[in-house]
Amino acid sequence: MRIFKTTITTILLLILAQAGFSQAQKIEVPLRFDHYYDYSQVVEAVKAINKAFPQMTSTEVIGKSEENRDIWSLTINNPDTGEPLTKPGVYIDGNIHGNEIQATEVNLYLMNYLLTNYGKNEKVTAMVDRNVFYFVPSINVDGRYHFFNDANTPSTNRGLRIPKDDDYDGLFDEDFPEDLNGDGSINQIRKRDPFGQWKTDPKDPRIMVRVEPGEMGEWTILGQEGIDNDGDGRVNEDSEGYVDPNRNWGSSWAPPYVQSGAGNYPYSGNVTKAVTKFMMDRPNIIMVFAFHNNGGMFLRGPGSKEEGPLNPRDIAVYDILGEHAEKIVPDYRYLISWKDLYTTYGDFTEFTYNQVGAFSFVGELFMPEHETYKAHDAKETEDGDSPGFGGNTERERERLKFNDYVVQGALYNEWETYDHPKYGEVEIGGWAKMSSRLPHPFMLQDLVHRNASAVMYAASQTPDVSMEIFDTQKVEDNLYKVRVRLINKNSIPTMTYHSVQNKLFPQDRLTLKGNNAKVIAGGELTDKYNNEVNYKDHKPEVQFFYVPGNQAVEYEFLVEGSGTVNVEYISRKAGKRSQNTRLR
Amino acid sequence: MQRPKFKGSLFWSCIALLTFFLMSTNAHAQQTSADSRYHNPSEINNALDDIHDSNNDITKIHTLATSPGGTDINLIEIGPEVDKSNKELPAIFVTANLEGDIPISSEAALHLAQLVISENAAQDKTWYILPNANPDAAAKYFSSPLVQDSRNDKPHNDDMDESVDEDGWEDLNGDGIISQMRVKDPTGPWMLIEGDTRLMKRADRSKGEVGMYKLYTEGIDNDNDGKYNEDGKGGVNINRNFPHLFKDFTETGGAWPGSTPETYAIFEFAFSHPEIAMTFSYGATNFSMVAPKGGRQGSADFQNIEIPENFAEQLGADPNKTYTMDEVIEMVKPLAPPGFEITESVVASFLGLGAVVNPVSDDLKFYNELADQYKEYLKEKGFDEERMDPEPAKDGSFELWSYYHLGIPTFSMDFWTLPKPKKEETEEGSGLTADKISEMSSEEFLELGEEKIAMFLKEIGAPEQFSAERVMSMIEGGQMTPERMGAMIKQMPSSGSSGGSSDGASEKDKALIAFNDNVLDGEGFVEWTTYDHPTLGEVEIGGEVPFVRNTPPGSMVDSLLNAQVPWTIKLADKIARLRILNSSVTSKGSNIYEVSVWVENENYLPFPTAMGEKNQQPRPAVITLNANGLEVMKGKTRTPITSLGGHEVRKYTWLIRTKSNTIDVNLESAHAWNDRTQVNLGGSK
Repeated sequence: MRIFKTTITTILLLILAQAGFSQAQKIEVPLRFDHYYDYSQVVEAVKAINKAFPQMTSTEVIGKSEENRDIWSLTINNPDTGEPLTKPGVYIDGNIHGNEIQATEVNLYLMNYLLTNYGKNEKVTAMVDRNVFYFVPSINVDGRYHFFNDANTPSTNRGLRIPKDDDYDGLFDEDFPEDLNGDGSINQIRKRDPFGQWKTDPKDPRIMVRVEPGEMGEWTILGQEGIDNDGDGRVNEDSEGYVDPNRNWGSSWAPPYVQSGAGNYPYSGNVTKAVTKFMMDRPNIIMVFAFHNNGGMFLRGPGSKEEGPLNPRDIAVYDILGEHAEKIVPDYRYLISWKDLYTTYGDFTEFTYNQVGAFSFVGELFMPEHETYKAHDAKETEDGDSPGFGGNTERERERLKFNDYVVQGALYNEWETYDHPKYGEVEIGGWAKMSSRLPHPFMLQDLVHRNASAVMYAASQTPDVSMEIFDTQKVEDNLYKVRVRLINKNSIPTMTYHSVQNKLFPQDRLTLKGNNAKVIAGGELTDKYNNEVNYKDHKPEVQFFYVPGNQAVEYEFLVEGSGTVNVEYISRKAGKRSQNTRLR
Repeated sequence: MQRPKFKGSLFWSCIALLTFFLMSTNAHAQQTSADSRYHNPSEINNALDDIHDSNNDITKIHTLATSPGGTDINLIEIGPEVDKSNKELPAIFVTANLEGDIPISSEAALHLAQLVISENAAQDKTWYILPNANPDAAAKYFSSPLVQDSRNDKPHNDDMDESVDEDGWEDLNGDGIISQMRVKDPTGPWMLIEGDTRLMKRADRSKGEVGMYKLYTEGIDNDNDGKYNEDGKGGVNINRNFPHLFKDFTETGGAWPGSTPETYAIFEFAFSHPEIAMTFSYGATNFSMVAPKGGRQGSADFQNIEIPENFAEQLGADPNKTYTMDEVIEMVKPLAPPGFEITESVVASFLGLGAVVNPVSDDLKFYNELADQYKEYLKEKGFDEERMDPEPAKDGSFELWSYYHLGIPTFSMDFWTLPKPKKEETEEGSGLTADKISEMSSEEFLELGEEKIAMFLKEIGAPEQFSAERVMSMIEGGQMTPERMGAMIKQMPSSGSSGGSSDGASEKDKALIAFNDNVLDGEGFVEWTTYDHPTLGEVEIGGEVPFVRNTPPGSMVDSLLNAQVPWTIKLADKIARLRILNSSVTSKGSNIYEVSVWVENENYLPFPTAMGEKNQQPRPAVITLNANGLEVMKGKTRTPITSLGGHEVRKYTWLIRTKSNTIDVNLESAHAWNDRTQVNLGGSK
């Protein structure tokens, strides 16, 4: 933490805060969700889960951050139902943006919930037995550390700790914010000024509103809490970092002049590199949820218009998952990233959809609209749309009342006078660090449960393929017809259609083998009533295809020989199946 | 061109053949070995070590990465600051043979390293020379059978079946060369070229031509899937693995930019050396002779920005109008939270304006001027024989990345292509060119007569509706002038593939045949001979020998390099060099002074390129003022210089207060040298 002017009070507060952390209750399973976990508590929580469920879980440090912190992952797999790579992989992460901390709590909640309900709840047991769950609960560990331990606004410490010359003056990260009044938040500075452009809202003097034409002003807003460290006339314009880890992935990446925060090249950040390696080593991943805050959205790709619309068959799958998700979490919306929000290049889910071949959602957690203070029959003051940069005074008044009466003032730092070295007597105040983008802890339990349920719905829909040899028939002498059916009873196909189309990896493979057997012909049985088979020209004993959601595909082999033959199905995402039949 | 040597071992070739399958063959066993003038990957690394050993005070070897095939990617640093990690002098980065199939480019890089030392060209700058950026592919020139392939050894399942890298080429006829197989097939798209049945072209059915052949590369269908050689070893072509215009899901580009260690190492090196002021790529393109290509659609246009409807309302903009970047920034500013700075890149990113994909016009100016100088220079050296054009830069290449992402002057050189075949001015030819036509008056053009004009139109491959009669009537009627017609013809796609010749061979193929017949004594082309293929039946194996189009015989290499490589050093001398030209002081009284400093870019190239100004990737230079108790009243203590054109001078002025008698003015730059001066305050009035 950088401290500009350390007062005795500040030091005392800091000591108190540290004491508070060290005296924090020991982390035990089941985990509690009435508070936020700082970085070291996240690590403790992951270890505690692993210790409580040693058979079902494993942990791995997948890499180190720019500041050398460990990035932890936890895998849930039931060894009795098979090795991890033989099951559909469901990957969940969070906190790629350092300040978007409750994303980690969703991860911790889901792992805790799956494991503590395993064997008790039938649905949970089935989804744990059939899938493998991969968690990277906090990706941007440096960001999380600094968000908790330093003074911040609700939006700062988002990026990676890679020095960047934001103001293009040849110096790196030299003008950072300062917590002048030592309250742990970076707030706004206002100064009384009859010629200023701002006045206080008559109904709530904490709110600043622009003066109307013809009025005298009351205040000038001097910007963010801090000083002009590099003497260039601007305050806090070159703070630590800024590489945005969610613009640093190698899929449709664009350089920093196209979008700020991209990093100099794809995977220039340690964490993006580490997670990429982790995922490429787990080709069975077919479902991805990456949690962020805020706004209440489940976003799917594409991230930019240039990429063109997704394959309509993938959209149909996304629609099933997204429309469930938005109903599971009240008021959240299922949206298309570039079209409904804004364009991004090189974001994480672009990478996972294009290169991992996984259906991928970004979950934007929390809606400030849920901070309410109103009578049950009060008219809606707005349509629920995010007010954008400008804000909305009516809404702001309500949020402040929520702060006053529902959370007893915990989210707002009242304006207080301060003697600024440059501006003289000013006032500092505004929304506290742990506000605005995060729920107050009393609302956290609801948020983590509902969002974890959206993931669990998707996990219940990963491909569940069964194979049956439904017909073995003698054609003549020693020529046989063997017919195989593969049924996927869930809504997610065994491959995204995008990866089929772009040949991302080999399709599912069906092979017939026998010591005494030779496959003469084989192909897809397109119409079993009329015996229409689309025979493959070469190598009929190996067939390639995928199994769409809630459908079956059928294949026929014409086999010459005798004895037992084996039919094997191998899918990168949906595991292996094998069955024998006798030619007779 | 390497000459296949006949000294090879019959024994090994036979063993190799037997391992594929047993069958009779009429092939004479040969073993190809590369022309000994060229260095293989380990010899290149040894050559770097030798240079380092004999000059270890001014050189250093950096190992940037190891290729998937296990060869170290070594770079030699030459310069006076080898022991410093933070350089004060600017540097030139030279990489070679990123495609891996251009052996002469690596020779050129080695030649450059020696030249930089012998010419003392590293006294005031550092050179980083990476002679062999794709060693896995480069090794193929030195192995048998000879095959030309740009992919590294990273395994890749090209045909998406159950095995990886299982169906590569085979040297069926045992001549040490992977060439082609042609098979008679009425459904085939290829036909023989009349007059030279060694050559083939695609039949144009609209002209009544009939295809008779299918073409394959030499080999068998190892995995029995009906396709030949569709999944050979590897991999990634390093020069398609860079992020500018990178395309997903291509055959050789790799999974993402930098997905292979050779490329990623170059990213890391370039961005951890801000002193790099210029780059060169030795390979297939030649930005020294031809400016980077423009004319691509969809380039971000910061002067005509459309605001989508969903933002237009909030911004108070009209979605049917276009705005300049400055206008958009002004619209967004009032909506931004305090302290949030609205920059070009913020706007570009939320409006999704995308990347710049055409060279910025100010940069084309220096590219074109320097290209003219280079041509002049080559002429003086007696190197003005017409040769086949260098290749245009490819999407995902180093050259484009360096220009667009690093934002510094980026040059490339190819060192040899086939000589252009001499145009025989036969009686049948029209003798006309686009240039000649441009200079004609309408009357002169019409005087050529219908027959000659028709012949010319045919030569340039004009569509049939442009009959001579029609063109003449357009000119007569004034709808068209010869000048406009000439300009239009020049804009037509180069007639490289369809050629202008009556026998239908492309100019490229004619150049090959001419060089093969006249210079290589037939060693550049394998005569088609019949072969009994296990699955295709009777085929003919033959065609051009790999590398014949880009690799001159060893005996030509030295003179080629002696003539062309020094241009790199000459261009490197033109990088921006900033200095303090002058200073002045006016005393205002009460220890207050107005100080002015004139900064000059004393060299030809701009600081940085116009593209670099746009992407803000090159570090700015900074002027700092230092004195005891200095107060800067007007201006900044650190004044960034973000751009300064070639030979441009700019004045910077401050109002300061100090009791000191002097003030130190420092000009610091990561990649355009440093300068300093002391301004005397006491002596002025």
